[in-house]
Amino acid sequence: MKKIVALLMASAMAASLAACGGSAQSSEATSAAPAESTAAESTATDGKKYEGVELTMWSMWSAGEVQANAIQAAADAFEAETGAHVNIEWKGRDVNTLISAALESGEKLDIFEDDYNRIGHAYAPYTYDLTEMANAVGYDDFSYACFNDQSKEWAGYLNSIVEQPQIGGIFYNKDVFDACGITETPKTWDEFLTVCQTIKDNGYEPLALDGAYANFNFYNHLVRHLGEDAIAELGKNGGWADNEAAVTAAQEIIDFVNAGYLAEGAPDAYPASQTKVGLGTAAMVVCANYVTSEVDAAVGEPVNWGFFNYPEVEGNVDASAYAGANSLAISSNCENPQAAFDFIMTIVTGTCGQELVDKGGQIPADTRLKESVLAGSVETLKNTTTPMSWCGSLNTLDGWSSIKSSMIELFEGKYATGADYCAYLDTLCG
Amino acid sequence: MKKNKTMIFLFILPTVLCLLFMYVYPVVRTVIMSFFKVESLTATTSTWSFYGLQNYFKILRNAGFISSMKNMVMIWLVGGIITMCLSMLMAVILTSGIRGAKFFKAAIYMPNIISAVALATMWIQYVFNYDYGLLNQIVKAFGGENVRWLGTDLIFWAMMIAFIFGSVGYYMLIFISGIEGIPQDLYEAATIDGANIFDRFFQITLPLLKGVIRTCVTFWSINATTFFLWTKMFSPINTETATIVPVVYLYDTVFGGKGVVERDAGAGAAVGVVLTLIIIAVYVITNLILKDSDLEY
Repeated sequence: MKKIVALLMASAMAASLAACGGSAQSSEATSAAPAESTAAESTATDGKKYEGVELTMWSMWSAGEVQANAIQAAADAFEAETGAHVNIEWKGRDVNTLISAALESGEKLDIFEDDYNRIGHAYAPYTYDLTEMANAVGYDDFSYACFNDQSKEWAGYLNSIVEQPQIGGIFYNKDVFDACGITETPKTWDEFLTVCQTIKDNGYEPLALDGAYANFNFYNHLVRHLGEDAIAELGKNGGWADNEAAVTAAQEIIDFVNAGYLAEGAPDAYPASQTKVGLGTAAMVVCANYVTSEVDAAVGEPVNWGFFNYPEVEGNVDASAYAGANSLAISSNCENPQAAFDFIMTIVTGTCGQELVDKGGQIPADTRLKESVLAGSVETLKNTTTPMSWCGSLNTLDGWSSIKSSMIELFEGKYATGADYCAYLDTLCG
Repeated sequence: MKKNKTMIFLFILPTVLCLLFMYVYPVVRTVIMSFFKVESLTATTSTWSFYGLQNYFKILRNAGFISSMKNMVMIWLVGGIITMCLSMLMAVILTSGIRGAKFFKAAIYMPNIISAVALATMWIQYVFNYDYGLLNQIVKAFGGENVRWLGTDLIFWAMMIAFIFGSVGYYMLIFISGIEGIPQDLYEAATIDGANIFDRFFQITLPLLKGVIRTCVTFWSINATTFFLWTKMFSPINTETATIVPVVYLYDTVFGGKGVVERDAGAGAAVGVVLTLIIIAVYVITNLILKDSDLEY
């Protein structure tokens, strides 16, 4: 009797394990079936264009976020209109740790969402060429050339559609500017310093800065003095201390800090300092445009935001602004790329696109949509030809974490002169 | 009871299979991968190219990896000593028959049932905050000026304090279970012989807890080596030298980061292998130092 019971228990354990494996297989088979049958079914329909089509999308948003709600509503509307059902999996911000494995293993994944830079590089071999479908809808006419050109340059073809364009520069609280009587945004470093002094004289803190963005802040300044190529060269081979422009750039930041233009406690722990712009105690922050929605969420009400490009310096070399994007791509093994593309268009244009702008506080992915938070951001992006990168090739250096920390230290006032700082950079580069 | 080998085999088989597929296979694959140039973690083996020891040379020459190792050693050694001493102290006090021992046990253990993310947020936003954090309120009450606790100089120690706060309760419970297993007769006999509280601790409690201490050191070594979340919370967005640890370096190497699209799964695998060897070495050394004795609890 004991043997029989033992045998039954062992069998039950083995069966439960087998069931675990089996369910994955059956799920795969189930999810693959509609796609396989799509070609045959899509023509025999009751009038709906993609009846029976099933698409799988991995999103970088988390369930419940305003962007997720807007996209889900778009999926429901798309299904009602075309008959195609979209299974959206809300993977959250760490979606980049999952996409490669899914693409390389051939998992059923039709649409995915990530940084357009990563889509253009790391995922490029597994992405669908969207050029023809984009041309058919006149995508170039209502999108940003800077992103499309980059995508084509990196992947060899248009392999992503921008969903969330981003622009970097200086974001300011218009109410604080008004209270200080500042009517013109500064174009040059000298004008910027004057604005900072005016703000300080009026009892406000000029510039908020969290340690997390200290590198981006200083990189903007370096780019003005040196340009990205020269920075890359110095990062690779050293020679910072011998470069007059680099020394000047660092010295200007040291002088800026010594003049007391940084907010109290800055560089602070993210997001403490940037929140001060929303609270109205600090006036400006150097970041990308998502800072506006982060700060709005932190203070619980929309801030009266303004934006201007990082000011030019004396002998300015490069006036470009940072531009980046979270984009949507179609995997190369997608069996219904046209349906997937149509759904992507549903997300980035029309009602959903406008909702992402209005509720998500983002820049319109479709240039025909109405701007919500940052007036002029669409025009700025449309006029951008060569966008500045997020800290460029310095990111790839062996000592990048040390360089980033040194940039925080620069804003902490740890270096007496620009030459001292550049000499330290030379110990980390080359 | 008569042993039935077939039954034993059948019962063990599912576990052995799980172990082989879910543990041994990834470990073997990671070790092999560390000798190859591999960009993506899940790239097919046909795309791998033999790289010899280059991945190991690469990480050992990398300033970020060296910083991460230094930080890990500091967490293991300094954090370990402080955590073990505090845990042992709490355990001894709470097993000495003081009133309210149950309450204090629960209170000290509580950080372990709270999400580490919530715990880290609490420390960052309410304790170390520059403007309204608890510590700066205390500093100001004594007439001092605000301190930048999360600046580059102090952020590592701030992170360490928060981590220790969350760890003490766990090790305290392990020590308590060990101490409670020691027969009271020994203490009574020692007291009759004139031993004071320190004599009893150093001559009875500590020697008899060797096995427990060995277990705690091994657990702590694993915790220090796999340290990840606290760094991510204290340095969100960008990894910084002061807080980087090997697992975060591994993560950044394998998956890239903000503005970084380069990935190197081979180098990441090498980091994983190095960390595994460190844990094995610590385990072996701990066993050599704290040898098994006939009597321990």
